[in-house]
Amino acid sequence: MDYHRTSIDDVAPGGESFPGRPAVDSNAAGHRSSPHSPAAMDAAAFHAASTRILTAINTVIDGKAEAAQLALTVLLAQGHLLLEDVPGVGKTLLAKTLARSIDCSVSRIQFTPDLLPSDVTGVSIYNQATRSFEFRHGAVFANIVIGDEINRASAKTQSALLECMEEHQVTVDGTSYRLDEPFMVVATQNPIEMEGTYPLPEAQRDRFMARISMGYPDRESEMEMLETHQASSPLARVSAVVTAAEVAAMIATVQQVYVSRSIKDYTVAVGRATRESKLLRLGASPRSMLQLLRAAKATAALEGRDFVLPDDVVSVAEAVLAHRIILDRKAASAGETPQSVIRAIIAKIPVTPDVAASPNGAGRPARNKASALAPAPAPQLPNPH
Amino acid sequence: MTLAPQRNSGPDAGTSAPDDPTVQPPAMASRPDGPGAQPWVMASAVAVAVAGAALGFNGVLRGWAWYSPVFTTVLAVAFSMATLRALRAPRWIVAAGGLASLILALTFTFFRKYSIAGFIPSSDTMNYLEKFLRRASETVLAESTPVAPNAGIVMLICAVLGLLVILVDALAFPLGLPATSGLGILAILVVPAMVKPQSVGVLGFVGAAVGYLMILGCSHWFTPAARTRADTARDPGQIRRGTVTAALALTLTLLLQTVIPGFDQGTFPQGSRLNPFGSATGLNPMISLGNSLRSPTGEGRITFATNAPAAPYLRSVTVDSFDGDSWAPDDRESSRRQGTGRIDAGLDSTVTEVRVITAVNTGQFTSPYLPAPYAPESVSGLTGRWSWDPATLSIKGVDTNSRDQQYLVTSVAPQLTAGLLREASRPVSGIPEQFLRQPANVPEIVRTTADAVTAGATTPYTRAMAIQNYLRSAAFTYSLQSPVQGGYDGNGLSVLADFLTQKSGYCIHFASAMAVMARLQGIPSRIAVGYAPGRSTGATVSVAGQGALPEFEVDSRDAHAWPELYFPGLGWVPFEPTPSRGIVPAYATEAAAPSGASTNERTDALTPGDGSSRAPVPTFAPVPLPGAGTTTAADPRAAQALYGVGAVLLLVLLVASPRLARARVRRRRLSMSDRGNGGGPAAPAWAELRDLATDYGVAPVASETPRHFSRRLRVSGALGEPSGESFGKPSGADNPGQRAAAALTEDFEREQYGRPNPTAWTAGSGTAGVGTAGVGTAGSAGDIEPADPSDSAAARIALVQASLRANATLGVRLRAEWLPPSVLSGWRRSLPAPRQVLSRTAQRTRRGATEAWGLIRNTVRRVRRG
Repeated sequence: MDYHRTSIDDVAPGGESFPGRPAVDSNAAGHRSSPHSPAAMDAAAFHAASTRILTAINTVIDGKAEAAQLALTVLLAQGHLLLEDVPGVGKTLLAKTLARSIDCSVSRIQFTPDLLPSDVTGVSIYNQATRSFEFRHGAVFANIVIGDEINRASAKTQSALLECMEEHQVTVDGTSYRLDEPFMVVATQNPIEMEGTYPLPEAQRDRFMARISMGYPDRESEMEMLETHQASSPLARVSAVVTAAEVAAMIATVQQVYVSRSIKDYTVAVGRATRESKLLRLGASPRSMLQLLRAAKATAALEGRDFVLPDDVVSVAEAVLAHRIILDRKAASAGETPQSVIRAIIAKIPVTPDVAASPNGAGRPARNKASALAPAPAPQLPNPH
Repeated sequence: MTLAPQRNSGPDAGTSAPDDPTVQPPAMASRPDGPGAQPWVMASAVAVAVAGAALGFNGVLRGWAWYSPVFTTVLAVAFSMATLRALRAPRWIVAAGGLASLILALTFTFFRKYSIAGFIPSSDTMNYLEKFLRRASETVLAESTPVAPNAGIVMLICAVLGLLVILVDALAFPLGLPATSGLGILAILVVPAMVKPQSVGVLGFVGAAVGYLMILGCSHWFTPAARTRADTARDPGQIRRGTVTAALALTLTLLLQTVIPGFDQGTFPQGSRLNPFGSATGLNPMISLGNSLRSPTGEGRITFATNAPAAPYLRSVTVDSFDGDSWAPDDRESSRRQGTGRIDAGLDSTVTEVRVITAVNTGQFTSPYLPAPYAPESVSGLTGRWSWDPATLSIKGVDTNSRDQQYLVTSVAPQLTAGLLREASRPVSGIPEQFLRQPANVPEIVRTTADAVTAGATTPYTRAMAIQNYLRSAAFTYSLQSPVQGGYDGNGLSVLADFLTQKSGYCIHFASAMAVMARLQGIPSRIAVGYAPGRSTGATVSVAGQGALPEFEVDSRDAHAWPELYFPGLGWVPFEPTPSRGIVPAYATEAAAPSGASTNERTDALTPGDGSSRAPVPTFAPVPLPGAGTTTAADPRAAQALYGVGAVLLLVLLVASPRLARARVRRRRLSMSDRGNGGGPAAPAWAELRDLATDYGVAPVASETPRHFSRRLRVSGALGEPSGESFGKPSGADNPGQRAAAALTEDFEREQYGRPNPTAWTAGSGTAGVGTAGVGTAGSAGDIEPADPSDSAAARIALVQASLRANATLGVRLRAEWLPPSVLSGWRRSLPAPRQVLSRTAQRTRRGATEAWGLIRNTVRRVRRG
């Protein structure tokens, strides 16, 4: 099969089938009970659920609370997560722990150069008994899909996964198959300088809501790890602490977090600044603005608020934006990193322009009144029980 | 091949742009297809140059009122030409357009009522134009600087400057001779240089220089490449050579001036009259006298023959109102009488009268007033219509002037003696009040001097003599130079004070001093202006009925002023307080008079070598006048005290005003916040918190989130020691100020970012913060009971303020209270707003210029290479 000339959609039906390849470990059998329009949770339940998940993760991975929180944020914001770091710092462990702590279907794809798109999406095979083609689900049919070392696969296979990520559906032989909700891809990748890797193109990196670098654990955490993880894998101790339905309800709650106009202004200002920055060759896409806001909403909900603060935007901006922008050559040689550029841009943008413009604060109430009269952009939360 | 029209910019673009667009060099492609900012910058440069040079006219014309029409005219012409140029009109259309706009602007400014639609000239306009021009020519001929800016002269100046704008513009840009355009500017500067005693003046010079440099700069930036090819080459020696040349020129100028005689007296240092209409020498009063006297060559020569025993004074006009900044003759047009056949002095004295017949030939002397010996009884032989003033007996042309007049004057004067004058001590009656009116604002020194000098004198005559003798005493020096150098050349009461202090001046000062002092002593007085007795020419003139009479001549150097004092029954009596000028009349000569009659020594003080020997050298220090210094102190002291109090009040107000402003702002915000029992908007309270923090040195940053700022404030120590373990989190250990700041932040966040009508989601579970991330966690909303009156915004602000005050050092506290940075920075921000606009514009201009220059340079390079 010529990967360079054909795309996934061109794969002939019934051509080759690869059922049960060893790299694909699909336990995506049951747990597809996520409701289509789940009811939002109340604050206490939300808080309890999120605390349970984070505690579970923190028992497995020491000293990575921030990464854990961000992973949960991405899950609740319906995004996909890219974990990028050197081998052996616990990327896969984090992904697995997150998946395990939720009682939902999980599949793991170990990406290798010879992995085929149909391994990911599934394939139609001819059933002799029924004399018809039937679709064999690929590994992507799960609530949480762990794509391990995604940058080891060929571009074509990467694309197959990424299409699913964007559209939450799989199309094989002209038939579309809806993926389960919640659906989250947690991909890990080694830094692109490593041997035998196909770096993700910009367009595909853009599909991931956030990228997290795990980083090495600090001294105490590492000592702790050596102490506790010797005998057994800590993963074994993790059991599901929330159900998929609960996660869906949490997602619904996050969706109803209120975003005021000035937050939208601020978000747009950040995006525009990345596009106008002289240090950047490529700024943040409009899609990334949407994802930034969604991540901020999830952060706000995790903080126990039903409205977004600029702090929420700031706290996720680096993780959400840094992997999408491309540094200018000069900036790169000057030692800038995408993270440092994002930080510099954030440090320059006025948070609430009207406060900065009128030091007296005069005229503010009038403006607020005006915005209050405007139709509320976010839907009202249903009454909690 | 397309036949797209080739758009050429600039006059010489045709030569460099090939006709075939397919072989068009890349240079042309990058050339901007419009003239861009060029015409506008050029027009500004020309306008600045001309309007700047016109600043020098201040002093030629009185005041500044004339400048606004001048300025608008210059702008109108310059920018209409720029508009045409921007529209790529041909050169001649640009010039014609400039001319047209000049005409329209002039019509609009000066003949609005007599034109079509307010700006289109009509035949009516022409009539008035003629009138205006006549007025202007009269002004130039007859008046002296600074002239009152009448419509005629201002219109003339506007027209000339408008034409100069067109000329300068044409020289600088289409003709490509920017350096030559300086001639046009120089033409403007010549006028004040010639006319004003202070020459051009700093303003005019700086204005002209700036404009000229702008023109040179603009032409350098914008001239099409071909023309500047030769001199745009980089030349490292350019500046050095320029400096050396300038230094040489400057040195040479400074040296030459000392070597060549006449530079300290010639036209330029002291000024002279501008005579564009020939050698006319008007003789309106006062300042022109000084200029006339300083004139190195006599102009306006008048010859006369008389049957009087000695050459008489020729009198033109009198000045009788001593009020105002500048004295001028009061024409009293309404009371003037027509015809000169019989002039009635209104004098019916019993004293023997002397009748004198004088034949005068005015030649080139041009003035509205006719010089005649006092007191004219009849004048015959005049051409044109003339009128005379019964009060002063000045004879003035109605529709003519004194140029080329030959006439015969019969004048009658009483035969006066000292004895007659001494007896004339009756109370004054029967003369117009204006001769008696004491001027307002007489400088103290004049009054005290007059009192001191006349102390002991009983009759008007003795008082007059005392004043005359005082002024003729050795303490006073006749000098044409010291008023110029001392800056009191001219007339007016303030000049008088300077004169009495410096004790040096010329006739106008002596005459006005005596006239004013006499009036202060109750003697009616006026200043007569005319000519001192001149020199005999040696020739004789035969006058009908008189035979051959000796001929005398006077010219501008004999111009003179003298006081006339009124004595009841005797009329107006001339005195001569000016030392070394004129002839002291016999009746005014006393034994006490130091020098007696003196001849008219014209040369003194004109040639420095002579002047020092001839001028009376005081052999003793002038006796200081009693009380001159002490009486003046009384009143001013009270005034000074008043001023002092005022200044202190002002200072207090100024110091308090930032504090007051701050208090006002706070009051307004808090009243806004607490409207509707605590349910008011949180934003004003938040702004107040920010400003409070600013005042105490924790200024918010624009890119800071409210929460971050609040946390920084709380941990900064400005509100007191932050409780250690709860970094950034309001906790029980926090002090009330910190809690209040957190609560204010919370309220503001909820208002600014929260739902317009909040649901119970957060309020019910505010403590649900997941405090694991580095993000600051919310202070719990549940901590704050909205209904608690002590939690009003005002109460919280008060808590924060108290906390800030308690933890600040004395210096910070004082600054926060008296010079709050939040107020001052606001003021500072608003202060340079206009300057920022200017600098932005300048920056943009510079950038445009640089770009244009780079473009030109590239083109030049390409042309060279190709």
